[in-house]
This record gives sequence, structure tokens and C-alpha cells, in this order.
Amino acid sequence: MATGSTDGVAGTDRSLLGRVRGRLEGPNTVGNSRGFWAGFALAVVALVAYPLVGSGEQFSLFLVLALLGLSLSVVWGYSGVLSFGQVVFFGVGGYAFGVVSINFPDATGITGAVLAGVALGAVSAALLGYFMFYGGVRDVYVTIITLVATMVMNTFMAQTAGSEWTIGEAALGGFNGMPAIPLLELGVSGVVSYQFVFNSIELFLPAVGAVEVDPFYYLALALLLATYLGLRALVNSDYGRVMVAVREDQDRTRMFGYDVKRVKLLTFTLGGALAGLSGVLYAARNVYIDPQVFALWFATLPVIWVSVGGRKSLLGAVLATIGIEYFRLSIEGEMALVVLGALLLVFIVALPGGVVPWVSDRLAGSELEMSEIDDTDAPREVTDS
Amino acid sequence: MVNGLNLAFQFLDSFAFVVLAAAGLAIIFGIMGVINLAHGEFILVGAYATTVSATSLGLPLPLAMAAGVLVTALFGVVVERVIISGFVPNWIGQRTVGRDLVEPLYDRLADSMVATFGLSLIMVQGARIRFGNSIDQIATPFGNVAYGEFSYSTYRLVLAGVSVALLVVVYYVFTRTDFGTRVRATMADEQTARALGVDTDRTYMLTFGIGSGLAGLTGALFAPVLSMQPTLGSQFLVEAFVAVVVGGPSVVLGTALSGGVLGAVNATVTNLTDSTTFGRIALLLTAILALRFLPDGITGFVERVRTRREEGE
Amino acid sequence: MSESDTADDSLQPNVRQTPAGKATGERTDTLLQTEDLVKQFGGFTATDSVDFGVDEGELRCLIGPNGAGKSTLLNLIVGTLQPTSGRIYYDGQDLTGLEPNERVQRGISMKFQVPSVYGELSVRENARLPIQQFADGEERRRRVDAAIADAGLSGYEEVQASALSHGQQQQLEIGMAASLEPDLLLLDEPVAGLSVDERDEIAARIRRLNREEGIAFVVIEHDTDFVAEIADKVTVLHQGEVFREGSIEAIEADPEVRRIYLGGEQ
Repeated sequence: MATGSTDGVAGTDRSLLGRVRGRLEGPNTVGNSRGFWAGFALAVVALVAYPLVGSGEQFSLFLVLALLGLSLSVVWGYSGVLSFGQVVFFGVGGYAFGVVSINFPDATGITGAVLAGVALGAVSAALLGYFMFYGGVRDVYVTIITLVATMVMNTFMAQTAGSEWTIGEAALGGFNGMPAIPLLELGVSGVVSYQFVFNSIELFLPAVGAVEVDPFYYLALALLLATYLGLRALVNSDYGRVMVAVREDQDRTRMFGYDVKRVKLLTFTLGGALAGLSGVLYAARNVYIDPQVFALWFATLPVIWVSVGGRKSLLGAVLATIGIEYFRLSIEGEMALVVLGALLLVFIVALPGGVVPWVSDRLAGSELEMSEIDDTDAPREVTDS
Repeated sequence: MVNGLNLAFQFLDSFAFVVLAAAGLAIIFGIMGVINLAHGEFILVGAYATTVSATSLGLPLPLAMAAGVLVTALFGVVVERVIISGFVPNWIGQRTVGRDLVEPLYDRLADSMVATFGLSLIMVQGARIRFGNSIDQIATPFGNVAYGEFSYSTYRLVLAGVSVALLVVVYYVFTRTDFGTRVRATMADEQTARALGVDTDRTYMLTFGIGSGLAGLTGALFAPVLSMQPTLGSQFLVEAFVAVVVGGPSVVLGTALSGGVLGAVNATVTNLTDSTTFGRIALLLTAILALRFLPDGITGFVERVRTRREEGE
Repeated sequence: MSESDTADDSLQPNVRQTPAGKATGERTDTLLQTEDLVKQFGGFTATDSVDFGVDEGELRCLIGPNGAGKSTLLNLIVGTLQPTSGRIYYDGQDLTGLEPNERVQRGISMKFQVPSVYGELSVRENARLPIQQFADGEERRRRVDAAIADAGLSGYEEVQASALSHGQQQQLEIGMAASLEPDLLLLDEPVAGLSVDERDEIAARIRRLNREEGIAFVVIEHDTDFVAEIADKVTVLHQGEVFREGSIEAIEADPEVRRIYLGGEQ
């Protein structure tokens, strides 16, 4: 990872904006300049305006999946744990949401269902994480255990077809899935609540006229932005530095007094919570969930997104998820998966670090050449005399 | 008595399945540190090549199977040269821009997973595009063995026998041939092997070819009993993986033991619950427990017990 | 210049207890003591009933022919290896069952044989990692800068650690181990592969850390000149056992020691 960042510029700026930027910037994320944040603001504006020109209902899926991508980026890119099991927590979150909301279909119940989904995602990740990390399981076997866990969930949930597989009012449904999940309505029943799914907001724009937009899209966008910025702050904090140290050399990091097992467990749990949130939104959006979320190909998708986007980059995870999914779902016909597979192959072999870090390095490279003129004291390369 | 026989047959079935699924993968993972997520699709190639040879070209079954193995092995060599080692892209790169374009995927577990997953997508869709959603299946040879009210496919018993024979052959090649020695040297310490004159590059290529050929053999052998769909490979993949990893560092013994243990668990639970689904779940859970409590796999654990016992004397 | 880390308000709570009497000259207490320590690998005994003791503030060198078990002993002390039998007492506490990071929290720090700075991170990021546990804000910046300066790497803050020379990486790593404010610092071949000048720098640095911070050292090294420069006392290991202990002069004069180095008895 390039270390030639403009680290410290924002840090010395004591204004509010400067201090916020100081928290969000650092060597662990790409984009540490005013230019980056300007571009970021533009992108946010574009995303806010998107439903006016495109289909917010369709695009919201990509925003939801981007959360899943972020969950893997945190766990893999920032702690070095390659997990094929993020979809387990995704699915657990989604099913939990379904079960709770079907049983308590009012606004309070549904809001509780959201929390239940996130919590269950976190708890299941904590349990699996504890089993693996505190059992001293080595890295490659952690990956394989997460993969097998996904298969276990897939096999198990696919056979929950019988009527005995019902929790309260909610039938798990086997490989047919759980339909008729209540429409996402958040708030407290009778006090204040709002329905986000299958609802629309009517806006009146000056030149265009009356436009209907999908509130769920904005909910997903808001959550994605909040998560992204929150993770940026986390990753650039002291704890984030420890995460990166664990990724780089966990044995050495132990020797600096850090409890590496605990760091991995906490990060894995956070990843589970995020994946759970993504699963909740996924189930809410589709008002349906089935065991396909535990399928092998779906389990591999987050790995693909994060590999292509750049596993050490949060932004890369988001952009790659949105890009790849948009591409995958818009290409009609048989060739779609062939092209996707070819794309994957080429990317991982040619750009193993991912797209966003590569782009960022190119851009930073041009910055460095300017600053090297002034820097007479510290040579870049040192050789043995 | 009858139930016992059922159990025995189920065990043999499961054992054969696990061993044959894992054989090619064990060699590739153990020697090259490459995770081939397209392993199931290599099995697909073998199965389809065999089926097409038998049905369209009219070859007798043994020849069709041989064709299946050969096609898959060659395909494996191509994949190794182009994707895994990057030999072909680098060759092109040297001649055009004067430098290597890519790094080999050896010992890059995550990257090899992603790359081979991309490959598997291409292969599955490619098969679907070229052959449609299914092709005609070869009839299962040999008929059935009858006992009491039950009957069991003789062919599946043959498969169990083949799986044992396969282990013996691989063991022989590994321990008694020059090639096997070179392979084991490369597996133990690549740099030293190279310093001793072993052409590790060629060893990797041949190893991957052989591993692919074995996957092709699995596909060929299972062709008469599986429905010929582009997705048939996926049912082998996870079992293959867990068997390889649970088996541990010793390729032959590890595969045999994990085939035995996992097969036994699968068969027992299937028999008790009358559900292959629960059998599979039990197999997978056993694998998870094994990976947690036997971090070096079964053969790794056996090694450690043996050395500890030597210490005590 | 000793650090009075309890006086500064901006520090985060220091998470470990330091033994009393860190100032130099008070070398009365035993800091580390192993008792009948044994480590076997399969049929091979790497550490054979070793009773090894180090006093507070002492500068000990550990020497011996290759394969004598020196690195194994250090690994047992810091906890990356578990003993087959025997005990290790540090500051009066039995270390059995404590993870390496727990031992580090109690004041033991180690630099391994193979330099392992975080290659992908900058010098500053490397130096900051151990320090961020102990200090915040301005205090942290000061200590990071001081650690970098002490390692002779001022001006190299933004350089990627993998771009440093071997000697510079050693200096950085020693600095990182020292900035944990240990009471016992274990160094496994700190000057292997370095030029004479670099070795002198590191010898001076070790003596300074020992004198000014009161850090006890156990240093594995092969170079007898280097050992003579820094050691208060020398322990010779041979075939996993403590062969001799004494001053460097006594050890150098001992014909038995020469014999085990030059061969003969296996």
C-alpha cells in the first residue's frame, strides 16, 4: 500500500471540517485530499439525484449489497481474515428479520426485527469467530471453515420445507423460501412510523414536474454512506492501525502486546453485524428470502467484489460491488456469466491488489513527483553501503 | 442384518465419492498451494467428454472414459500454463513489452480462489451454451446386486473398488517412481528441490495435469450415475475440499482416512435419519470440528502422536 | 534521561506494572529465573534442564555454537514456544500459561532473528504501533519522533519500511521493541549481517538503553567483540544446557568453551 499520502495536512487544520477530515483520513484508506472529497461530494449528489433519471427501485439492490461487500472488506482487507461466510450472517440477518417481522407485523415489531437481524448476524459471527480464533485455527482453515459453514446453512435451510419448521407464524419454507415478509415500516406503532418499501415520495421539481421516488432507496443510501464513513473513521483510528498490523503480520503484532485473537474476533463480529444489516435490507426490499443466499456462488460474490475493487480499500469494495452487480444484472443472455468470469480472471491475475488502489497509486504517483523536488534530506530508496 | 448391509453399501458409496472427488484436488493443493475452485468443473469436463465420446462417437465405455481423462488432463495443462503459472501471458509479455505480465498463483490461496472461480463460471456457462441444459446420460452398466428386499447398483460397488485401487496407484507413483520423488521434493521445499536440479516448473505443470486427469477420471467414472447438467461439478466441490483439508499433509493416506471418516459419518447419519441431507450436514459439521481440533488434519495429528510417543521412550 | 510516565496527564493508563527500582545501580532483584526448563521437539532435546537467571538492569549475552538452543530459550521466555516441562518466573510470577502478548504487557519484549518490521507500512507507522497503547496526542507524537531519532532514522518517517537497508530495519525493530518500555529486552542476533560501524552504533544504543532506561537485556550474538563491548555477564549454552557462566574475560580464557566452538565433543 502506498504510504505517500498527504498525511498531516488535514490533521493540523483545527477547524471543524479539518478535524472531521483528520478522523476520516489516513494511510489505511485511499483518498486523502481535498480533490477526493470534492469528488466524493459530487458522487453523493449524483446518487441522490439518480432516482430522478434511473430506477431507484433497481439500484437500491446494489446499495444493499455494497454493505455486504463492505463487511468483507473490513474482515478481509483490514484484518486479513478471508471469509466465505459473510453470506451466512447475511442470510441469518435476513431470515431473522423475516421471522420476527412476520410474527410482529406492526411498526414497532418490524423495527425490532431489523435490530434482531443485525444482532443475530453479530452473534452468529461472534460464535463462529470464537470457535475459530480462540481455537487457534490457522488462516487458510478459517477460510475453509467459513466456506463449509455456508454449505451447512445451505443444505440445512433447503430442507426446512415441512410444517414443523415454523417459528411462531413464520414458516421457514425450505428451498422455496419465506415469502410475505411484511413491508418495512420503521418507527413506533401509533406514535411515529414510516413505510419504506412499496411506497413512494412525490416530489415536484421546477422544470420536470411531478416525480415519484422510492424512499427505500434513500434509506439504503443513507445507511451505506453512514457505514462507509464510520468504517473510514474506524480504520484510520488506533484500533484500525492494530487491525492493519494484524493483517500484515499477526505474530509480530502479538509481540507488541496486542491480543490478536480478540482483535480478529471483534472485527469478525463487526463484519457479521454489517452483513446482517445487509441481509435485513435485502429481505425487506424483496419481501422474501430463500436459501439461495447460502449458495456457493453467492458466497463467492463478496470475495469477487472485494478482490476486484481492492481488498484494502473500503471505497473499492463499494464501487466494485455496485459496478459488478450492475453489470451482472444488466447483461442479458448466456454470455453474462462468461464475461463476468473472464473479467474476474483477468483482474485478479493482472491487478491482484484490485482496481481502486491501482488507480489511487497512479494518481498519487503524479503527486509524489512534485514533492520530491523539495525533499532533499530523505531519499526514497536506501541501499546497503 | 439387512440394515447392516445397507449401511455397508452406503459407507462404500460415500467413501468412493469422497476419495474420488478429492483425489485430484489433494495433489494440486498439497503440492502447489493452489485452491482450484474450478475442480468441480474439471470433473464436469471429464464427465461430458466421456458421455459425448460414448453417445455421439460411439466409443465403448472404457475407451470413452479414457478419452474423458485425457481431455481433462490436457485441459488442465492448458489452464496451468495460461492461468496458474502465467507462463503463456509472460511469454507474450516478454516478446511484446519486454517484461513479465503476471505472477504465478502458487501459494496465493485467496487469489487462486478468485481466479479459478472465474474460470469455473466460464466453464459452467460455456458448457451450458455449447451443450444446453442437459445432455443424454450413459446407461449404468453391470446391473444390480440383490439382497433381501433391497438391491444395490453393482456399478457403485465397482466405484468403491476403483477408489481403493486409485489410492494404491497414486501411492505407488509417489513413493516408487522418480517422478513421485521429484514431486515430493518440490512439495517439501521448492527452492531446495530447484537447487538440486529438479525442474520445478515442469513438475508443477505435470502435477496439475495429473490432478486434472484424476478429476477427469472422477467425472468419467460418475458419468453413468449422474444427470449430465452443467452444474454437476458443484456437488463434488465442497466434499472434495473438506476431505483434502481434513486429510492433512499426507496426500494418499490423508485422502484415504478422511474418505473413511467422513464417509462413515455420512453413511451412519443417512442411515439413522433416512435422509441424505442430514448425512451431508453431519459430514460438513464433522469437517468443521476436525479442522478446529486437528489443525494439521488427520495425518498431521497421527504424525504428532507418533513423535510424542517416541519422546516418551 | 529517564521517563516519568506517571507524571504526564495526557498519557493513557499504562497497562502493565513495572517492577520497582528501574533506576540504574539497583541490581539486587532477580528479574527472570527459569527452573529446570526443558523443551523437546520430537526426539530432539533443544533445551535441557536449564536454570537461567537474569537480574534487573543486567546486560547478559547468550552465546554458544549453532544449534545450542539459544533462540529456543528466548522463545520459551517470551512465550512463542511452550516448554515440555519446567517453569519460568518473571518478577516473581510464574509465566506458565500466559500468552506472548500477556508477557509483553508484563514487561518482556523481544526482537526476533529475522527482521520483521511491517514492510508495507512507513517508518512512522511502524514506530507508532507499539507507542499508541501508552500515549496520546502530543505526547504520542513526541515519543514516536524520539523513537525514530533514537534509531537514527530521522528524515525517513514516510519511507516504506521494506525500502530500508537491513541495518536500518534492525535499528527500527530494536526501537520498536524498546518503546514498549520493557524491563527485559530479548534480542536475537541484532547485528547479524551488519557492518562494523552499524554494530558499534547498536552496541552503543544497547548500552544507553540499559544505562538510562534500566532495561535488562539478553542478547544472542556470535561476534565476541560485540559481546565484549556490551556484556556484564555471559552465559554459554551447549547442546541445550548451560555450559558456563561468567564475565566475558573468564569465558574467553576458558579452554572448554573454545573446544565446544571448534568441535571435538559433539
